[in-house]
Amino acid sequence: MAKYIVKRILAMVLTLFIIISISFFAIRLIPGDVLGEGANPELRAAMRARYHLDKPLIEQYVIFIKNFLSFDFGESINLYPRRPVFDVIAEKVPLTLVLNIFSLIITIPTGIACGIAAALKKNTLTDHAISTMVVFNVSVPSFVFASLLQYFLAYKLGWFPILLDLKAPFMSGAQLWSMVLPVLALSFGGIATITRYMRAELFEALSSEYMLLARAKGLTQLQATVRHALRNSFIPLCNVIVPMFMSVLSGSMVVETIFNIPGLGSLMTGSISTSDYYLTIAILFVYSLINLTSVLVVDLSYGIVDPRIRIGGGKTRE
Amino acid sequence: MSENMTRRLTAEDTAFVQTDDKIYDQKFEGKPIGFFRDAWMRFKQNKASVVAAIIILFIVLMAIFAPMFAPYGYREQHTSFGILPPRIPELEKLGICDGSKIIEIQASKLGEYEECLMEVLEEYTWVYRNKEIPMLRIKINQYIYKGAGDYYFWFGTDNIGRDLWVRLWRGTRISLLIGFCSVLINCLIGVVYGSISGYYGGRVDMIMQRIIEIIGGVPFLVMSILFVMFMGAGVTSFILVLILTGWIGMSRMIRAQFYRYKDYEYVLASRTMGAKDRTLIFRHILPNAIGPIITQATFAVPSAIFSESFLSYLGLGIQAPEPSIGVLLAEGQGFLTTDPHLTLFPALVISLLMLAFNLFGNGLRDAFDPRMRGQ
Repeated sequence: MAKYIVKRILAMVLTLFIIISISFFAIRLIPGDVLGEGANPELRAAMRARYHLDKPLIEQYVIFIKNFLSFDFGESINLYPRRPVFDVIAEKVPLTLVLNIFSLIITIPTGIACGIAAALKKNTLTDHAISTMVVFNVSVPSFVFASLLQYFLAYKLGWFPILLDLKAPFMSGAQLWSMVLPVLALSFGGIATITRYMRAELFEALSSEYMLLARAKGLTQLQATVRHALRNSFIPLCNVIVPMFMSVLSGSMVVETIFNIPGLGSLMTGSISTSDYYLTIAILFVYSLINLTSVLVVDLSYGIVDPRIRIGGGKTRE
Repeated sequence: MSENMTRRLTAEDTAFVQTDDKIYDQKFEGKPIGFFRDAWMRFKQNKASVVAAIIILFIVLMAIFAPMFAPYGYREQHTSFGILPPRIPELEKLGICDGSKIIEIQASKLGEYEECLMEVLEEYTWVYRNKEIPMLRIKINQYIYKGAGDYYFWFGTDNIGRDLWVRLWRGTRISLLIGFCSVLINCLIGVVYGSISGYYGGRVDMIMQRIIEIIGGVPFLVMSILFVMFMGAGVTSFILVLILTGWIGMSRMIRAQFYRYKDYEYVLASRTMGAKDRTLIFRHILPNAIGPIITQATFAVPSAIFSESFLSYLGLGIQAPEPSIGVLLAEGQGFLTTDPHLTLFPALVISLLMLAFNLFGNGLRDAFDPRMRGQ
């Protein structure tokens, strides 16, 4: 197990290295001048020297990698001039994180509850209603849903602020109230995904033979469902829930734009459109890190949640 | 053993019996039902899927023909007619899509709107710096106000006066083109890759699966952003972005099918009779997977369309002036509170399209594999 984890982490480091290397070279290919065209020659020369842009590309790359390995991610060029990239990102992360965590707090229990209800009442009106909701949720893109919420609930009815309340202190009541719509917009698709999985898994578990055995031993249907069927159907959910964090994170990029939330997502779009070299690379790095870590956590959690699955054996894996 | 115990049989020793006899079995009535006919019969029963199929067909036809027959070009700007609301002949008599807009003005300025005034909705006073200003909420015909009385922009115009109707269908065309092309190529790559990996197994399979792990490990968003930066935005680079990781799901499914079927007796029998690998893969094993392939491809189309509009929305997608549904939605977002029609129509088309594809896919899955029904 330990050997397997070490192997996976090494592979992860390699992937991250490839990603930052590719992004380092790819971002140079974006047309346009990073330093701004109107600046006077002296200022330009000073800036080029500051950001090492006067050296050959390979040398820049070596400097960049050396700095990166000592956790110096460079400085922002355009978006937040001369501020360390690390600080800029650290400032933006809390808001995005809060948004994502709230969204998951809504998504996971709602999805599981809907899935359980649909599986227990299969082929009844409840099931059909939930299935319709699932198809609908899967089909309507989150940004369309966000626009609809914004137009009807915020603008027409005036129940919620249209944009995120940035004047209110962080996490205050007023700000939390203005977070309701973005969080809802983010949760929409995830609920459908979890519901669909939960329903399929639980239904399969309910019709399996160990349930019959449990009933034969004298457990009531409720006991058998709660102790056996539910526990077994939670296992495959790991596979859905952890990557969901990543999908919510990327979904929040659009939702952040719509609700004018200064989070990681809008930082990313901003840094790409101004081709802010080091900032863009660092953000891509953060996103990749989160994604790869979540994949690793899923794979490891398999073995912990379900002892029947052995990791790292090679031959036993399908 | 004596010699006469073993005797070689010749053709003369054998004769057909019963060839001229009458067969008393009951004759088959009706025609044999093949795989696709069987699936079609089941598919027809699912009303929602049939409706979905019709909607898809309608949207595809509109995407192909609507821009051809539209009175305005998708790049044609009518700069003085910026942001006109929808106006459709015939429907305007019923009071919907009549090019009207509700605005709030000072009562003293009513004269300016005399020609285009349709209805005074509300009179109220607005207190501004201790002065009471009488205000009016009126409904005006925006077309007459802007001097476009003879024009009919069915879905309205955007901020530089381009016709939304033609832009929307042209955008749908591009979204569909990206969706279909990427899914088609993904299927091809996925089928070939999955077949080889699943059929040969062992070391080949191990290496091929590690390659998938590495490619699949890079987040889609990061990979697509890098790729668009690298290739520049455009339809081709977009299709390539969706191909980068899109084939992995298909190849996994195909590989699982091969693991399931390659040890069956009929495959062994065919191999014994000297069938080549190629024959076994494409003639004997792969056709088993035709149902799941079609189903999975159907589900892949809406997700490709979604990815396209998602990236376009972030400004990474198709470049102006070429529209796509995502581009239109992003443009409309800025005018959401004042002119919702710019968001409404693209949102409606993309939601309808994705809903139809998902329902259609559900119907196909149930039709090809009745065991999966309702899952």
